[in-house]
Amino acid sequence: MTKRPAPLTEKKNPPLIETKNLCKSYFNEGLKTPVLFEINLTIEKGEFVAIMGPSGSGKSTLMHILGFLDHHTSGTYDFHGKPAMKMDEDTLARIRATRVSFVFQAFNLLPRATVLENVLLPLLYHPTIPAESRLTRALAAIETVGLTGRKDFLSNQLSGGQKQRVAIARALVTEPEVIFADEPTGNLDSASGIQVMSALQELHDGGHTIILVTHEKSTAEHAERIVELFDGRITRDTRQFTRRRAKEEGSLQK
Amino acid sequence: MLASDLLRTASRGVTANRMRSLLTALGIIIGVGAVVLMTGVGKSVEGVILGQIDFLGPKTMAIFPGNQGPEGGASGFRPDFNVLTLEDAEALGALATVRSVAPVIFVPGNARFGREETDPRIVGTVPAYYRNQHIETSEGRFHDEKDDEASQFVAVIGSDIKEDFFPNGSALGARIELAGRKFSVIGVLEPVGTVFFQNVDDRIIIPLSVAVSLTGRTYADMFNLQAVDDFDIAFADVRSLLRQRHRIVLPEDGSTENDDFLVRSAAQAEETFGTVSLGLTLFITMIAGISLLVGGIGIMNIMLVSVTERTREIGLRKAVGARRRDILLQFLLEAVALTVAGGLLGIGIGIALDFLIAQAVHKFLADYVFALDVGAMFLALLMAGATGVAFGLYPARKASLLSPIEALRYE
Repeated sequence: MTKRPAPLTEKKNPPLIETKNLCKSYFNEGLKTPVLFEINLTIEKGEFVAIMGPSGSGKSTLMHILGFLDHHTSGTYDFHGKPAMKMDEDTLARIRATRVSFVFQAFNLLPRATVLENVLLPLLYHPTIPAESRLTRALAAIETVGLTGRKDFLSNQLSGGQKQRVAIARALVTEPEVIFADEPTGNLDSASGIQVMSALQELHDGGHTIILVTHEKSTAEHAERIVELFDGRITRDTRQFTRRRAKEEGSLQK
Repeated sequence: MLASDLLRTASRGVTANRMRSLLTALGIIIGVGAVVLMTGVGKSVEGVILGQIDFLGPKTMAIFPGNQGPEGGASGFRPDFNVLTLEDAEALGALATVRSVAPVIFVPGNARFGREETDPRIVGTVPAYYRNQHIETSEGRFHDEKDDEASQFVAVIGSDIKEDFFPNGSALGARIELAGRKFSVIGVLEPVGTVFFQNVDDRIIIPLSVAVSLTGRTYADMFNLQAVDDFDIAFADVRSLLRQRHRIVLPEDGSTENDDFLVRSAAQAEETFGTVSLGLTLFITMIAGISLLVGGIGIMNIMLVSVTERTREIGLRKAVGARRRDILLQFLLEAVALTVAGGLLGIGIGIALDFLIAQAVHKFLADYVFALDVGAMFLALLMAGATGVAFGLYPARKASLLSPIEALRYE
């Protein structure tokens, strides 16, 4: 994987992600259920942010909105200074194809496809990456997560940890600006979880922006910054100067 | 998304569940297969009939007693069965536009030679019959005017009769028994096969005068005519002469309603056949339409199930950047791939069945040869593809409009 450049800190550039008074409500049969209240959040390029909160706090909803999978109801969300509210379906699809990617708790791999095919999937929809370079990119991404030997395995022949690493390879194969990880260790045992967190930290060290959603403090502690959410509001936003290093934990466990 | 990726994705969708895809496409397979088979058989039959019309020649016509002709009921029972007299035949023969007339009397009775006995068609007629029917002898000779005048008990036998009675040797000079009387075989006819689904190789031809004396009849079962030149003029002449001789009052509308005879010709048969064949084509098209409709509904149903089953996959594809158009095309192409594959399979099965039927029928109907209606085949395939588009559109659209997050959350 090519290394990304160090985060830009110049003030005149608009931040990567900036929300102002962002609100989200669900409407069901005329019933309004507010989920997020006046979220003000700025995330710069190159950060590793954990959005932490108990279940029902709205953390996943926030991630889906920031990742262009869902729409907010009011307030603003600017991505590179451009308002998400004004983007049409095709623009949203293009952003999802080129600028953001996801690692889901439930992996969401194509079941009857191989590791390689799963990693190739986002490249099918990428508007600018030429078809000839797809295979090289996919193999490089699989190499990054250490699954080169398993590239021809069907995804349902893999362990949970391996599946999540395939999902990470799939997330980074398009070299997006932001990788969103929604409880990536939620379905994994602790050893596999450490492997996954270690992979994410390595990506961050390589310059990727990572936004992690979790309900576990111990998982959140792998990030540089923890945004705590409770009942749809941000209750704390702290920077950590000593964060947990998954790699070291992994070697300690051994 | 590139077209090649789209194709590969769609074909994976079809092949992932082979059994289901096959069952889903079954309606299309049967529909297209039936069209290919039926149009192929139709074309073979058309070849046989047109061949025989051709064989009879455009100047040949036949006159039957009774307003309905042979369709009016068993001869001897239908009204006016005795109106075509031998004098009529002579009068018709005198027309300038008619080259020859051969009155035909069918003599009831069996043929016997030694211990062999068959039930042939014994035809009493004049020598002109041979020319009108384009038949030749393989050995011996036809009977001639002298045989007729002298009422010689001679017989010209069809090739099947020869096979039955004289499998190893010559039939010429042999004495066979027809309707209880002895006849000398003077000729054997070349095999012809079937003409209008009737085996004509089992006939035995005897002089008309002999047939008259055996049956005591002065009327014919039919007249066989050959026009000199233009069929239409001869046809008009023949009809007006017969009407005049039979004192038929022409109805005001000029129809054949009052006629006590019916004129049939090869040209008319061709016309009639054209009408029948058009009707058949419409019928086949209707069947094909119905089966494609039913097949299409099956496809739509399965595609809707497939969209529901693969909701999470759709969500995932959207999350990694698929546009609505990409999802729409993927599912639409899947439906079209199903119907086109079904159509191709149907064509294969249709051709195979058509071929097998042709093989079987050819054994007893030599003129029936394997034929395919290529135009109908392509049209059926095109219709199958169009069915895929028409019935795949709704499920594909439904898939493309799914919200990514709701699709991903779908359990």
